Amino acid sequence: MHSTMGTDAQLSRRVWQDRLFKLILVGVALGVVLLLTTIIGFVIKQGVSVINWSFFTQLPQPPGARYSGILNAILGTLMLTALASILSIPVGMWCGVAMAEHPLHPLVKWAQVSVDGIQSIPSILFGIMAYLWVVVPMGQFSAVAGAVALSMIMLPIVIRAVEEAVRRVPTTMREASLALGVSPFRTTIKVVIPCALNGILTGSLLGVSRISGETAPLLFTAFGSPFLVLSMFQPVQSMPILIYNYATSPYADWQQIGWGASLVLILFCFVLSVGTRWVFKR
Amino acid sequence: MMSVPTTFRVIDLRVSIGTDAIIRGISMDFFANTVTSIMGPSGCGKTTFIRCMNRLHELVPSIQVSGDIVLFNQNIFSVNPMLIRRQVGMVFQRPNPFPTMSIFENVVAGYRLNGIRLAKSESAQIVETSLLKAGLWHEVKDSLHRKGAFLSGGQQQRLCIARALAMDPSVLLLDEPTSALDPKSTSHIEDLIAELKESVSIIMVTHNIGQASRVSDYTAFFLAGELIEYGTTQKLFTVPDDPRTEEYLSRKFG
Repeated sequence: MHSTMGTDAQLSRRVWQDRLFKLILVGVALGVVLLLTTIIGFVIKQGVSVINWSFFTQLPQPPGARYSGILNAILGTLMLTALASILSIPVGMWCGVAMAEHPLHPLVKWAQVSVDGIQSIPSILFGIMAYLWVVVPMGQFSAVAGAVALSMIMLPIVIRAVEEAVRRVPTTMREASLALGVSPFRTTIKVVIPCALNGILTGSLLGVSRISGETAPLLFTAFGSPFLVLSMFQPVQSMPILIYNYATSPYADWQQIGWGASLVLILFCFVLSVGTRWVFKR
Repeated sequence: MMSVPTTFRVIDLRVSIGTDAIIRGISMDFFANTVTSIMGPSGCGKTTFIRCMNRLHELVPSIQVSGDIVLFNQNIFSVNPMLIRRQVGMVFQRPNPFPTMSIFENVVAGYRLNGIRLAKSESAQIVETSLLKAGLWHEVKDSLHRKGAFLSGGQQQRLCIARALAMDPSVLLLDEPTSALDPKSTSHIEDLIAELKESVSIIMVTHNIGQASRVSDYTAFFLAGELIEYGTTQKLFTVPDDPRTEEYLSRKFG
């Protein structure tokens, strides 16, 4: 009996292995937490001093001016993400639902490969495509072009999230509906999608929070602008572009505004992802 | 036995999935206002059989069916399955009320999902009648507009029965309706089945021999995709013709 249990020496070695393993786990976890808190802490420390009411309500001012704000970038990012959502959520939703509801259809495999493929394309390429498809024909940079680039990044995120959410709806729900004589189409619309709504909303919000921080695809599509632009057909400012421009400027007070804008962007994404969790839990 | 009007008439039904034969040529008639149990060991094809009767088997992609099923002189394979399913209600092994709908909405789901508009008073009437028939009305009448998640498993299953009854079906298919329930809920549902046969014909799949003997007028015994014996419950349980039935009843297998 004693031999199968192992010797005392072996036992104490395993106890030490366990302790070491636990220590590594705790260390790695602490490292991740530390990284996040350092980044957020640093951004707060650098940015919080410029944030006041006028920061949200004023336009950018020349270096040295008081009461400079980022209103145009906030509105621009809202416009870009809203239009990108309008373009990608309906398409992504139907695509995801179709893929989940007809898993044996030969096109589904192709669609899945394509979704993965789109997701693996570096985001700057979407900027180039939107430049060729929208900016060149229209003859100028515009919010529309930026939104087209962003919507291509958002599309696969939405499709995947919707597909997974719809797949998670138990077959018994479909059976219950079909057994009442409901058509497959109405079953999808009235039973399956409502059951999957949490997952669909979560996926869409994740997509929004992903694209709200994208910079590269906007460089030569939405381009950026120092003015307050409310037209979809003109160059428009956005948060990431503003941060890029101001952080690389030589003026200390502009760099300060860049930090402030970073803080606002982080908070926006944080609120979105926390909001997403909240919606999901309900 | 033949003087009673028939509901379903199954003629040489054969079902296979790929190369596996699930049902190997079954012919039998079902009678109006009776409870018929289909019993047999796991894998004997009883669930597949009952799912053919409202064509829900078609959800399985590679399934092949031959033979005919006739409901009131109408071959169910020659009309749209949606029409059959509105005449034939079904209750499943596990209670499956719609989680996004209130109790009220669940009961009238068959109308709402099919796009059939009901006057407010009409739907209220249907909800009350169906829940009364399902023996659930007095337990839920004050919380009709809450979602059904707080109901117990047995209550949820009775809600599913009410949902099926609301469509006023001529036949109700029960696929092991108590297999996921505790004994108390089970006996509640068994009592309910006995009452319901006044207004609807019931075909019930069960792996519970006791249940078949308690609630059904007729019992069929399936084994390996074949109908071994079919007759009045009393005869089948007391003097079965086939030795395999007797063996099954004495719980030598299954």
